Order: sequence, then C-alpha cells, then structure tokens
Amino acid sequence: MRTLACLSLVLALGCAHPAPAPPPAVPSPAPGAATVPPPSADAAAVRFVPPDVKPAFEIPVDTYTLGNGLRVVLSRDTTAPILTVAVYYHIGFRIEPRNRTGFAHLFEHMMFQGSENLGKVEFMKLVEGNGGFVNGSTRFDFTNYFEVVPSNVLETILWGEADRMRGLKVTQENLTNQQGVVKSEVRVNVLNRPYGGWPWLTVPQLANRNWYNAHNFYGDLGDLDAATLEDVQQFFKTYYAPNNAALVVSGSFDPAQVKGWISRYFESIPRADVPPLPDLTEPRQTEEQWKTVEDKLAQRPALAVAYHMPPRGSPEFWAMALLQQILVEGADSRLYQELVQKRGLTGEVGGGPNLLGNQYDYQGPMLWMAYLFHDSSHSPKEIVSAIDTAIEPLRKDPVDAATLDRARVKARSAYYANLERLFGFGRADLLATHALFDNDPAAVNRIEPSLLAVTPELIQRTAQEWLRPTNRTVVALQPTGGK
Amino acid sequence: MSRTVLGLALLATGLSLAAPETPPTPGPTPPFELPTTTVFTLKNGLKVTLVPYGAIPKTRVSLALQLGNADEAAHQTGLSDLMGKLLLQGTTSKSAVQLAEAAAQLGGELEVNVRADQTAVEIECLGDSTVEAIRLVAEVARTPAFPTAELARLRGDLQREVAIQRSQPQPLAEEAFARAIYGDHPYGRILPVAADVERFTLEQAKQLWTRFAGANRAHLYVVGRFDPAAVRAAIEEGFGGWAKAKGAPRPKPALKGGRRVLLVDRPGAVQSTVRFGLPAISPTSPDYIPLVVTDALVGGSFISRIMGNLREKHGYAYSPRSVLGVHPGVGTWVEAADVTTKDTAASVREIINEVERLRKEPPDEAELAGIRKWVAGNFVLRNSTRGGIVTQLRFVDLHGLPADWLRTFVQRVEAVTPADVTRVTRKYLDPQRMTLVVVGDRKVVEDSLKQFGPVKVEAPR
Repeated sequence: MRTLACLSLVLALGCAHPAPAPPPAVPSPAPGAATVPPPSADAAAVRFVPPDVKPAFEIPVDTYTLGNGLRVVLSRDTTAPILTVAVYYHIGFRIEPRNRTGFAHLFEHMMFQGSENLGKVEFMKLVEGNGGFVNGSTRFDFTNYFEVVPSNVLETILWGEADRMRGLKVTQENLTNQQGVVKSEVRVNVLNRPYGGWPWLTVPQLANRNWYNAHNFYGDLGDLDAATLEDVQQFFKTYYAPNNAALVVSGSFDPAQVKGWISRYFESIPRADVPPLPDLTEPRQTEEQWKTVEDKLAQRPALAVAYHMPPRGSPEFWAMALLQQILVEGADSRLYQELVQKRGLTGEVGGGPNLLGNQYDYQGPMLWMAYLFHDSSHSPKEIVSAIDTAIEPLRKDPVDAATLDRARVKARSAYYANLERLFGFGRADLLATHALFDNDPAAVNRIEPSLLAVTPELIQRTAQEWLRPTNRTVVALQPTGGK
Repeated sequence: MSRTVLGLALLATGLSLAAPETPPTPGPTPPFELPTTTVFTLKNGLKVTLVPYGAIPKTRVSLALQLGNADEAAHQTGLSDLMGKLLLQGTTSKSAVQLAEAAAQLGGELEVNVRADQTAVEIECLGDSTVEAIRLVAEVARTPAFPTAELARLRGDLQREVAIQRSQPQPLAEEAFARAIYGDHPYGRILPVAADVERFTLEQAKQLWTRFAGANRAHLYVVGRFDPAAVRAAIEEGFGGWAKAKGAPRPKPALKGGRRVLLVDRPGAVQSTVRFGLPAISPTSPDYIPLVVTDALVGGSFISRIMGNLREKHGYAYSPRSVLGVHPGVGTWVEAADVTTKDTAASVREIINEVERLRKEPPDEAELAGIRKWVAGNFVLRNSTRGGIVTQLRFVDLHGLPADWLRTFVQRVEAVTPADVTRVTRKYLDPQRMTLVVVGDRKVVEDSLKQFGPVKVEAPR
C-alpha cells in the first residue's frame, strides 16, 4: 500500500488519533430553556442571500439555548445507525496566553486526563469501548471534542461531555505525561520531518502582524514545559463554560429523548464570566513581502503564497470560495493548468483558506494560501510569475461563463463532501461553528445558495482587492541539508 | 475552582437534578444492515456492483483493476505510478485539460489510485451526473492517449515525489521493513529508485496498461444516489465493448520472519521511527478475525495496551499504532511508533513486554468486551460512507472472501473469547521472531539496540 502523492497536509493539533433521506426534525420548544437569541447583528454570513432562499440539500436544524447559555443544535439524519456528538468551546489557539504558546492545544489534551467522575483515559474507553471514534482538535477560534458513535451510546457520551464541562480533576503526573505526549506530537509533525509545519504552521507566523495570529501555536517546547497545573485550572475556569460553548448532536436519534438528556446533564452546569476577545484584526497589507525559510531535512524546495482573506461572511468571502474552485481545486483549475500542465513547474498545487479546517469554520482574520513543491532548477521568481499569469486575468476581466459554471458545480460538490467528512462529523462542525460565531446554526442552509449567487463582477472585484500582489506574502522554503 | 463550589451549592439546595456519578449504560446495539447491493457481470467479464446509498446527492464510481505495483518487474518499481499519471493526460478524443474540465463539470475529479494489488480509476461526482461519470471513466479506461509529450514532465514529478518520500523517516522505515519481510518480491519494494525512474519509457507504461487492464480483470463499483436503470444502461454502453486483457501471473511471495535489527541512519533525528513486526496471516485464515480483535487490543486502537503504555504512561510517543497489513494470501503484523530518540530501546522493550504479557495471561472479559465493541463499531462506521463501502467490497473481492463475509463480520467479532486472544497471540505474535527496523540517529541509538540482536546498518538508496 504505497502512496506516492506529494506530502499531504498533516492535520495536526489533533488530540489522539492520527485518526437516506432523513425525516425533518420536529421543532419543539426547548425544555426549560431560555428564549432562542436572535442571530447576532454582525452575522454577515446570513446576509448575502435572502433567508428564504432554499438550498438543494437542506440540513434539518433544531436549535435552542439552555438557561446557562449553552447553545444546542440537533440535526437528524438516519442514513446509518450512528451519530456525532460535538462540543465546541469558543477558545482557539489565537488567544492563548503570550508566555504559554501551545497552551490551548496542551489544554485540549488535559480534557482527556480526568474529570469529576471519569479517571484518566476513561473518556476514551467510554467512546472506543462502546464502538465509537473520538478526537479533539485545537483551531484558530475554537477547541472541539467530538465523538462518532453507534446511536445507542448517545446518553453515555452526553453524560461524559457534561462531566468534563463541569470540571477537571487532573494531577501533576497527568500534566507531565501530556507535556511529553505533546512534545512528541510536535516532534513527529514538525521537528523530525522535512517540511514540518509547512505551510500551515510556518506561513501564518510570517504573513500576519498581530501576535494573536502570528505566534507559534503548536508551542515552543520551553513554553510547553513551563505550563503548570494552576495554568490548567485557570484556563478551564476562564473559557470552558457552557455560555462559551455549543453542543451539536447530528445523526440518528430521538429528538424528545435527546432533549431530556441534554437538560438533565448540562442544565445545572454554572455559567461563567468570559473575557471579551482581544483585538484580533490584521492591518491592510499594502506591500508584497518575500520571506525565506530554511529546512535542513528537505530535499526539494517549496513555495507558498498567502493572501489575507476578506472578512468571513462578506460578499467577497463568498467570491473567494469560488476563486478557490477556479484557482486550486481540480486539474481544470487555473493554477494547475498553468504551473503543472503547461509549465511543468510542479506536480500538484495545494491550497485554500484555513488549511486547518475549511472556508467556514473560523471567525477571525484568515489567510488564503497556495503552495507547491518544486525542483531547484526553477526559481521562486519564475514560479511566482507563473502564479501571476494564472491570477491576473481574474483581476483584469470578469470570469467567463463556462469557468464560473464549473466552479459553481465544484463548490456545491465540495460543500457536500465537507458535510460528510469523517463519518458525518463535517455537518456537526459547520453547525457548531455557526452556532458559536453567529448564534445562527441554520445559516449553514444559506451556504449553498450563497455560493451559487456569486457573480463574475463580484469575483473580479474580489480578486482586484484580495488577490493583489501587495496583499500577499511569498514564502520560499530552501533545503539546506545537502546530499 | 469557584465554579465547582457553585455547582455544589446548587446541588445542596436541591435546585438541580444531580447527574449520576457513573456513566449511563448504553442501550442495546442498534441493528446494522449492510446496504443492499446489486451484482452482475457483463458478457465480456466485467463485474459490476451497484449500491444505492445515502442522503447526500453524490456518487462514487470506482473501476478497480487487477493491476498494481505487484506486477512491476525488478527495476520497474513505480512504473505503475507513472502509468497512472499518464492515464490522466487525455484520451483519443479529449486532451488532458478537456478531460479535467469534463470531470469538474460533474462535480468531481478523475483519480487513478495505484496500490500494490490493484489500481482504481475513480471519480466522486454529484449524484445526478452519475451516468456521465461512468462514461468518463469508461473513456479513460478504454481509450487512453498516453501522449509522449507529457512523459518527461511526469517522470520529473515522480522523481520529486520519491525524493520527498525518501527524506521522510516513515517511508524509509516502511521500505526497510517490507524489504526484510518480502525480500525481492514486489511487495518488498515500496519506494521507486531514482535511477530506475529515469529509464522508464512511454512504451513500458503503455504495455503495462494494455497487458493488465481489460474487462475480465476489472470490477466497477457505483455507490451513492443514482438512477439504477440509467446507470445500468450507461455501463452496458460504456464498457460492453471493452476487450479482455491477458494479464500475467504474479510471483508468489515467500515471507521471511525472524529477529533482525535493521538501522537506517538519520543523523540528528530527534525521534526514532520504529517498525517491529513479522509475517502473519491473510483474511482467508480462520484465525483472521480473532487476530483483528487481538491486534486492536494490543496496539490497534487508542484504548490498546501499547498506546496506554508508550503514550499515556511514558509519554514516549504521540501516536503508536499496530497494523495488520494484508495482500492476497499473505499478511504481516507490525507495531509502528515514532519515539523520542533517548527512549528508543526502552520503547521497544515496552512493546515486547506488552506482547509477552498477552501471551502469558488472557485479557479479562471486560477489557476484551470493549475491544470487540470498538472493532464492531468501526466496521459500522467504515460501512457508512460511499468510499468506505467501496473499500469494504473491494477487500472482499480482492481476497476472494465468501459472499457473507461482511454480513457476518460483527457476529464473528462478538464471538472472540479471551482464550482465542491468548491462542492467536501465542501462535502469531512471537517477539522472538519479530524484525526491528529503526530509522534514527545511529550514534545515539546503535549501542542500545544491540540488546535486541546484532545491528545491521542499512545503506541509503
């Protein structure tokens, strides 16, 4: 079983693992819950198309908020006798403490080390020992914990997630052990591999200006070692509150039953005062930056270009989703055709917004990247010139109808693939992030119409401002190991 | 801490329902039924399996061929991969870009996935484009252009991929382990060699395809949302006239077990990449299911013993895993781990300790019950996606397993007893017969590895 595909992007920062027509849910009043809050005013994600425009594939969304502020989203799909439980906390690695780089991710590991009624690793046993799959991941704007399980295990998992939302019970021995595990994780994904952290970890640090967006979020080993048990409890107290979280259950379940369980296990967890987000904004970039990184383990050079993305939910944001299809996705894409098929500079061009997730599951400033591996016989300048050849026509003229039509079809298909990711976990991911960031999980049903509503003029306007060469950072990776 | 106090206060006033202190017991496992399949064979021998499945309007079309790296001669390692790249460079009626645009218009991308035993021409498209997707796959399979103009570029791409693979410790460890077990058999040649790739010709790649790819050596799987009647007609039309191919018998592998210690030097490496394993069995063996369960218990799951030891007890490794690797008629068991350099020998000792412990004492029923559920539950998950369903069906067909193999999988897993685990561990997992491969910093680890046997330093390729 060999794979000769180029280095696939390592989806690191995971905790543990390397790895039918649904009847619509019956809407019913939330048991003992507060009123459903209106979508937040700045939820621009919902404004691009009118709210009554229906997608071809509609996701059932039943949502309410508990008295303690926990946002709940239920989405029924009886395709298979399985379901996903996902708990998202509104704390990403962006806003971890300044002298504790990598802490948000280290903390995620600690969530598996014991809570009031569950000892170390017992949460894992509860899931895997009942036939399921569990993981946690730390991302720019959230940390998630999710399980895909046979449908009979739902109550057990809700109990377990509630137990660790209520409080952690961890020891110095657990912390020391997980500091070792996380350092091993950084070694295997970054330090002991060629192109370690390339480009997902490396490039944001070079392209961004604001520390929150530009620090080493996997963590300096020294900072990881410096973390204390007090840091762990303080972080939990600050961010891991029900009013700073969203709970999604999607898949095969009985709506009335699940609401009763959620009420029973989560309702009594007290809310907490969560500090406001710091200023995460990036200044508008007005000059192109060129950076070089050296890699002593690599044998071939690599190159990435990173552009700041338009704000999530703006019209230009939707146009970028189409530009992604036009430029990078598939062998018909402009960058593939120019760099691979015509010029033979590389075998593959990867890229997209938010390489640690997707177009939709982040909140703050983001980069759109394209990257490739090449031979030293071609200079970074030559490659960037080829990239410009592919991009500049999109800035100069409106895109032709055939290209836009293909991009729309691909975008729709990619959106479906995203929903199905990891045994259906992808659907829960979108529901949770739209609940967490926009207070409007039903906005997922406007993704498909929004993608289809993007016009050639909007694409051109977006490319003019956001695919400006002066909005980008070019990062060249140079092998320095010899051989 | 103050939140905990607040929680207790609420409980004391009786305002809240107390959550129980032990996890609620799961209800009975829901019945799981495999999706219904329709199987038929065209006159020219092409086997077809149709599986209507899912709510999301997409379909996977996968044409699996009895052609793979196992059919490569000596000094041809990677020729199938070059052939796979060439297949996407156009047909007699479409250029490469026209082919790519046609696939994109269906919401998909054509892929040729080359593996040791099989090659698949595949596309995942929107459901209402299934008929067109079948036509496109048929066109690629039947009328590939193999354009000379693309050869040098694709050979260069392959060279670059190989150079990148050879700079990574895990592929180097896989290569050394496969060579130790399978020797000169193609299964033992995991990575191409640059000098070989340089000499590949268009004619060689084309010949490989024409010799092995034909209706009688292929199986078409269509899984997803589609109109079965229209799909059937498209298959008849697209593949009905496809000729047969001769093929050629594959050499039979002779596996070599036994303790050897192979070291691939990677100066300055902060981790050692370890492979420790031996020849095992193929899925046709009656002991296969007990060994699958045993593997999950010893190293194949997160709740396995080696994971608990290397990661959760010692912090030596992030993601140690054991794997049963199989080819038709043969198989291996191997533990794979990337461990801190200074803990290399200690990690190997712990792996040996865990296997030895399982050879001595049967697992208790509760531990085994959790593992059985994990194996069964994962089987359900694997059969809950289009790609997973294709993989499962291909597995059964590749290994020539009985028709009810998938249907009875869960019940056979549930029947595995602690005594079975002890028996198969003793029979198949003998640490004394395991080969150790370490890719790491020789000057730091070599001496400590001598306790496992004489260390042979592998030359770089």
